[in-house]
Amino acid sequence: MSSRISRRTLLRGAAAVAGAGAAGALAGCSSDDNSGGTGTKAQTTITYWDWYASQAGWVDNEIKLFQQAHPGIAVKKTTQVSDKYADLVSLAYRSNNPPDILMVPKSPQLSQQVTQDWLLPVDKWATKDWQSRFPQSSFVEGVDMFDGKIYTAPFAAPAPSLQLYVHHKVFKDAGLTESDGSVKLPKSWDDVTHAAEAIASKSGGKVAPFGFGNSTNTTLAWWLDLFVRGAGSPGGAAVGGIDGMDYRVGQWTFGTDRNYADVINLLLEWKNKNWFYPNSMSISDEQARAFFERGRFGMTVGGVWNQPEWTEHKFTDYSLVTLPAPDGNPKALFYGPPGGKFVAVSSKSKHADEAWAWFDWLYSKDAGKRWVEQGQGLSVYADNNDPKGVTFAPFAQYVAMSGTAVVGPQPTVRNPLLTKLELPAVKPDINDVLSGIWTGQLKDVQGTLSSLTDKMNQALSDAVKKVGTGASQKDFAFPDWDLTKPYTTKPGA
Amino acid sequence: MVTTVSVREDVATAEPPRSAGRRRARRRTYLWSYVYLAPMMVLLLAFVVYPIVASLGYTFYKWDGIGDPTDFVGLDNFRQIVHDSIFWRSLGHTFVYAAFVVPTQLVLALALALVLNNKRLRFASFYRTLFFLPVVTSAAVIGVVIQLLVSNFGDSINDLLLKLHVIDQRVDWLGDPHFALAIIILVGIWHTFGYNLVYFLAGLQTIPDELYEAARLDGAGPLATFRYITIPMLRAVGVVIVILAVIGTFQIFDLVQVLTSGGPYFSTEVVNTYIYHLAFGGSNANAVQPDIGLASAASFIYGVLLIVFSVVQVLVLRSLAKRRATGGKA
Repeated sequence: MSSRISRRTLLRGAAAVAGAGAAGALAGCSSDDNSGGTGTKAQTTITYWDWYASQAGWVDNEIKLFQQAHPGIAVKKTTQVSDKYADLVSLAYRSNNPPDILMVPKSPQLSQQVTQDWLLPVDKWATKDWQSRFPQSSFVEGVDMFDGKIYTAPFAAPAPSLQLYVHHKVFKDAGLTESDGSVKLPKSWDDVTHAAEAIASKSGGKVAPFGFGNSTNTTLAWWLDLFVRGAGSPGGAAVGGIDGMDYRVGQWTFGTDRNYADVINLLLEWKNKNWFYPNSMSISDEQARAFFERGRFGMTVGGVWNQPEWTEHKFTDYSLVTLPAPDGNPKALFYGPPGGKFVAVSSKSKHADEAWAWFDWLYSKDAGKRWVEQGQGLSVYADNNDPKGVTFAPFAQYVAMSGTAVVGPQPTVRNPLLTKLELPAVKPDINDVLSGIWTGQLKDVQGTLSSLTDKMNQALSDAVKKVGTGASQKDFAFPDWDLTKPYTTKPGA
Repeated sequence: MVTTVSVREDVATAEPPRSAGRRRARRRTYLWSYVYLAPMMVLLLAFVVYPIVASLGYTFYKWDGIGDPTDFVGLDNFRQIVHDSIFWRSLGHTFVYAAFVVPTQLVLALALALVLNNKRLRFASFYRTLFFLPVVTSAAVIGVVIQLLVSNFGDSINDLLLKLHVIDQRVDWLGDPHFALAIIILVGIWHTFGYNLVYFLAGLQTIPDELYEAARLDGAGPLATFRYITIPMLRAVGVVIVILAVIGTFQIFDLVQVLTSGGPYFSTEVVNTYIYHLAFGGSNANAVQPDIGLASAASFIYGVLLIVFSVVQVLVLRSLAKRRATGGKA
């Protein structure tokens, strides 16, 4: 009996303590959130997702500045793993718990994200006046607009997505210098071959001329992309989706454009001379970058995303060139669509106004300027892309290359019906095929490329048929396209 | 436990019940067994049976996992899988993996179990722990370490082998289709052979010492003792170990995914990574549309193949056991 009483007493005591604690906690919460009593405004927290790992410094700084300018809004950032980002966003929507604002995932297609009601149209805030800060033709049906509503906006200008990085010390040790002592940068395919030959012979085989990290099965295609563009193949090899086709003919041309087989054979020739770092197929791009930094090889292909990590490690002894061409003069460039996508507000957001404020901040000219100044990339605002404003030499070289990327044709502008096009993935794709050729599992280079081309064009043909009447494969062909100039796609033309 | 005892007392003290009463009593006796089994059954139904049934429905749709499946394609997913050479290649790699891993692991595990079962061996528990450690180590961690060893520090390995004239040029161990699967097999053997070691040890410890003593008295040497006592006495547990080992190797996924992701050019792709890549897009950072319908069809076909294989395996083992029981006359 006594024990029962004491237990009850104990429970009562515990309840009293818990009640007092809860009351105190609630009081504490309300004092934080309640603007009336203290005069401070209640803070709203918005959730933001991206896959920007090496760009995190810029994002974090923007969040800090944004929160200073908007004391009532806190941004809770979550950076997801880039190659799982699309899956995680999809899962978040399936569990009805997406972030308030997010970087637009690469998959599914943006049109599908809109039809699935993932994203909120921002027309309420994105007035004509707001739109006017962007360059002309920034809002394009089928790219960042659907059914006349704006969902996202371009953040970066079309950019030279790939460059050949050259290690200064390796080049100097191989005697590859100009008369003034600066590094002799290769411009033609022959220049690259001669540089490789010099590195291999001068280092006695201790330093490889080339290296890459293909464990994610993507980087080998970067080499092909960079070299075929220089030779005049506008589709390249590293661009997914329909933008990877040759818009001059509206088809993929891996098997019909001899540049592809020529570059692959050139790469195989270099490989057979043992000019590539031996573990290139199994190391990751990150590991390859670390080996390049240590001078284990003299040249690698990568993007501007290489630079922040090297800068962090105080490694700046390199230069970059882009589009090495057979005769040194690039016959094709890098192309981007008019318009573009970066972030979007979730349709499920309960703080859409606050999410828009962050959206607007990210798209501001000042944020874009800081993006360029911090060496992250090019801004959609041309004024921001001035190499003179960039103090870091390798990034200034990149900014100076901005002319090698222009706006290309856009079939969805010509025929908005094509926004409904759902192109199925063709497997094995160009990455797989290159890997097969490189490792000797696929012997017939031309036959393999022709087979891949046929499958991709067949997939396009099937997908166009599914769109229905009003869409045709001719919508993808732009025979009047001059590869060295920006192209303006006219609706219906 | 108390309840069970009291029920038994009831049963024991009651007059012999009629058949309906006996059934009721028996039902009461076993009621708690069902109660204890229930949580596991619920989990099994929710996380094993339901996904299997649900994924069967998805096999008839072209579906990327977003929204609800609406694009009905009938049996087209099955047709695609059956005509996909990569599926059959993956299946071949899975069988090659099993064909190398299972016998090697079993022989090694049995040999080591015999050594560790020696009562005169000092620090036997330490060795057992040591050999079991890889089993409790995550495959992801093992994969990263092995990758570091053979890829990042592969130069040192290559240099050593070049000096020893084992190889005449540097090898990309995980990037060369001639070696990548072999590396995975070697790591696979090392990673899970601790299981079989423990199973064999448990089996060996059930063999009465008297049998060995009697054999020794009859003049049997170590080989004869092993052949005529150890092997026959381990037969029952051995069959279970073989079945578990085969099933385990057919589930290979994590090591492959971490070490090579099925590459280069599918040369190490096994069925489970093939299904994963179909379901969740490509093995790379490219935006490849996932195809849950196709992945479900591949899973279903693989499941059926495994059931057929398991049935054949059980029938063969049963037939062998029967033949042994009848002295090979059956």
